[in-house]
Formats: sequence, structure tokens, C-alpha cells
Amino acid sequence: MSRVIDVPEVLDHRGFEELVRSLPAAEDAAGARILFNAKHVRWVSPYGLIGLLAVGQVARERTGLSPRIEAPETREVRTYLDRMDFWQSAHEVFDLEPGATRSHGASDALLEITPIRSHHDVHAVVERVRERSAAILENHLHYPKPSVIQFSVMLSEVCQNIIEHAETVGWVCAQTYNYRERLGREVLMLAVMDVGVGFEGSLASEHARRFGESWSAATALEAALLFGESRFRDPGRGQGLQAIRKQVEKWDGMLAIRSGDAQIALVPDWDDYPPMQRSLPAFPGAQILIVMPARTVKAR
Amino acid sequence: MSVPGDASAGRAAIPAIAVASLYQEYLVTRQTGRAVRDGIERLFADRCGESLAVIDFRDVVVIDFSCADEVVAKLVMGFGEDQDASGNLFILVRGVRDDHMDPVEGALRRRGLAVAAERTSGEPVLLGDVDPDAGEAWRMLCACGRIRSHELAQMLGLEAGSCDRLLADLYRRRLVRRCGDAFESLSFAASAADDRSPPQELQGDDGHAPNDG
Repeated sequence: MSRVIDVPEVLDHRGFEELVRSLPAAEDAAGARILFNAKHVRWVSPYGLIGLLAVGQVARERTGLSPRIEAPETREVRTYLDRMDFWQSAHEVFDLEPGATRSHGASDALLEITPIRSHHDVHAVVERVRERSAAILENHLHYPKPSVIQFSVMLSEVCQNIIEHAETVGWVCAQTYNYRERLGREVLMLAVMDVGVGFEGSLASEHARRFGESWSAATALEAALLFGESRFRDPGRGQGLQAIRKQVEKWDGMLAIRSGDAQIALVPDWDDYPPMQRSLPAFPGAQILIVMPARTVKAR
Repeated sequence: MSVPGDASAGRAAIPAIAVASLYQEYLVTRQTGRAVRDGIERLFADRCGESLAVIDFRDVVVIDFSCADEVVAKLVMGFGEDQDASGNLFILVRGVRDDHMDPVEGALRRRGLAVAAERTSGEPVLLGDVDPDAGEAWRMLCACGRIRSHELAQMLGLEAGSCDRLLADLYRRRLVRRCGDAFESLSFAASAADDRSPPQELQGDDGHAPNDG
């Protein structure tokens, strides 16, 4: 017996929220394997892509059964999933048909979906994107030369967040696309997710008592992002997120971090994301979205 | 005023120098930083007397904040500031590029620390948390190489007592070296020692700096 979760046609950050909302009802059927029906998906963002893996992983952990997935019917979406190495990671989450793990050949992505399990993976990711990010950031998005190294530093810190705080596997991917909806220009989207302990759990031992009853996922996110708090007393810790925040602000980018039932965001003028959302459907771990807009020639 | 090479301004034994060349292009993650720092610390564990650790960043392409905290800030914290007289270890970071500045400075400032450094051009630069007057005194000292306190006070237009305090604080933080009745920049000390004998180089078994893991 299977319970079906329909994957939204547009699988972006909003689509991810829909998936998270639909998860508890599907889990309620004891002994039921969940089927993610992605047949009607017609557009996927990097955030939505690894969001599908994250939701699948949580379904697997909660039901004790590997969920199944129906691949998208649209050729473009299928090709995109292949190019982003979705099936390689999906193989460890979903119960896939033999032969479903397709390799893509050449990819134009800045960074295909890459699992992060240890600091070796962080090294590999940073080294892998160096050449590609130079081409994309400088030539495509018109960022100044130093931004290539700054992006590598940001990528390293955001991936380390998984190792330091999640205590489980996470994923990262990055891709440019035309963000017509908001900007009418190209953006680089970087998505990083895990389904680990989350900010509230990670910071609780050090900070929960101080906050008393107001301690929550939202206060944990504020403490980490706005005040540089970490789960350690060491003042040298917690600077990674601070550095990411400053860099994203400098680039007029958007940063959103979802954890537990809250999401905090640094919102530039060009977006209308809410700066703080509470009472979202609870979801484990941390889900980070960074959007870096192409610079206009004038802004250069 | 004393100038580099001026033997009249203080005399002191040249410190033992060890160069830690970081042969890694990617200094990222705390684990990597810890491994690199362990290697440098091992090099100095059994030393006595004055030593100067020259950490060479020339090959480093990317250093992130976490690794900068582990390699530079924790090294300065452990070996740099407020040592007793038996633990005279000075740290000089060489080959610093603009890309390195933010992470290294950020890591040091969070802990209220500072380190003497040189850009790839050789230009001295003080990284981290230093008040402006101390920074100015340090830069002037670097320009002179070695100088007595009252001479520096004259150059900076300071009262002798104020300059004494600035230099004493820079010395306490191991950002300058004491040479008899004078003070010396770490770049000057390193150059003088380079001229005498080749520095000992920190390498792993494979000829590379200790790797992560």
C-alpha cells in the first residue's frame, strides 16, 4: 500500500513548503510506503530539487520505508534532473527502479547536487566550483574578480554548517537561471539543506535557558544569523554565518534560512520575502537559500 | 633614528626562525585548520629561547573564516599574546593577499587578537584588533626596522611615556620584538635571520604541509 504525495508543478521554495505540509498526512498511514508523484512537475529550482531529497529522506526516516518516486514526464525537467545528478543522490533516499541512476555527461550547472558528509566533501566542492564559478560570476553575472574567491569562502562556510550542526548528511547545489518573476535578470541560486538537528536543537544547550519560554526555532535563527551565536562558548565560533550574511548583503542578494517551524531572511529591495516566518510546518534540519542577482553593467 | 641594519640601536640574538609554508591552495574547514595548526605547534613544542614562526600564505588561494580561526587566531592565542618570559614565540604571516584579509582579520577581531603580517609585495600590515595609535607606532617601527622608544616618540610627536606604553603593549602582544634598549619589527628580524642562515621549513612526510584529517 502506498500513500501518494503530489509534487507541486513548480518545485521552488513555495513548492517545497507544499511538500512539507503534505508530509504528516501521508505518514499517518502506518506501514504505508510513500510515493512522491513528480509526474506533473514542469519547473524545478535548485532549492526545490534538494528539497525533494530532504522531504524524501524525512519520509524514509519516519516511516522506516524508502519512499518511491514517479519521475517527471516533461522532457526538460527530466533532462535537468539528470544534469544536476539528482538520481545519484536520490538513489540513497528513494526506492528507485534499477537503472534509474542516470549520469548526465557535460553539465552547465555551477554545482550539481553534492552530498556533504564530511569536511573532505567541503574541500571537494570548493575545489570543483573554482573554475566554473570564475566563468559564471565574472562573465555571466558581471561580478568583480575577487567575488570568485569570496563565493568559494561563502560556499565553504555554508557547507560546514551541515557538518558542524546537522550531525547528518546534507546536500548542496548551485545553478544560474533567469529570474524573470522578480528581477528580469539572471541570478545564481545556491541551496544547501540537511535534515539534522536544526538551529533550535543545535543552540539549545548553550542558549535556551537564557531565552526561557521564548526559546524557539525563530529565536535560535535570530541568535545565529543576527548575533553570531553558536552552540559553543568559544567566541571564534559562529562567524561563518556572519560572514555569509555580510557577503550576501554586499552583493544585494537574498538569504533565507529555514529551520524547524521558522524561517529568517535577509531581504533585498527587489524581493518581498518575509524577514521572519513563524509557525511554518515543522521540518527537521536547516534549509538555506542564497540568491545572488546579476549585476547591471552600471553597478559594476 | 635607527634604520634597518643599524647596529647602534640595541643588540639581541637573532631568534630561531621556522617557516611554515602552507602548501595547500584551499585552507577551508576547521578540521584542516586544526591539522595545520597542530603541525606548526609541534615544530615549536620543544624550542626554548626566542623563536619566530613565519607562516607563508603565498600558495593559499582560498582561506575561509573557520580555517583562519583555527590556523591564525588560535595560534596567536596559544603562542602569541601575553606569554611569560620563557615562551618567547613571535608570529609573522607572509604572502597575504587581499582575498586572505577578510577571513584572517575577521577571525582575529572576534577574539580581540592581532598578528604582524606582510603582503605579497612585502609591505607590512597589521591584521586584527589594534587601536589606531598602536597601529601607527607599529607601522613607523616597521618603516625603521629597529628603533628606540624615545626616537620613535619624536617621530610620532608623542610624549616619551605614551610611546613607551604603546611599544610595551605591542611587545606584550608579540607584535614587535625587544632588542636591548630598542624595539624591532618582526619583518626586520626575519630578514636579518634569513641573511644568516636558511630557515627551518615545516613539511609533512610527503614534502607538503600537514594535510587535513
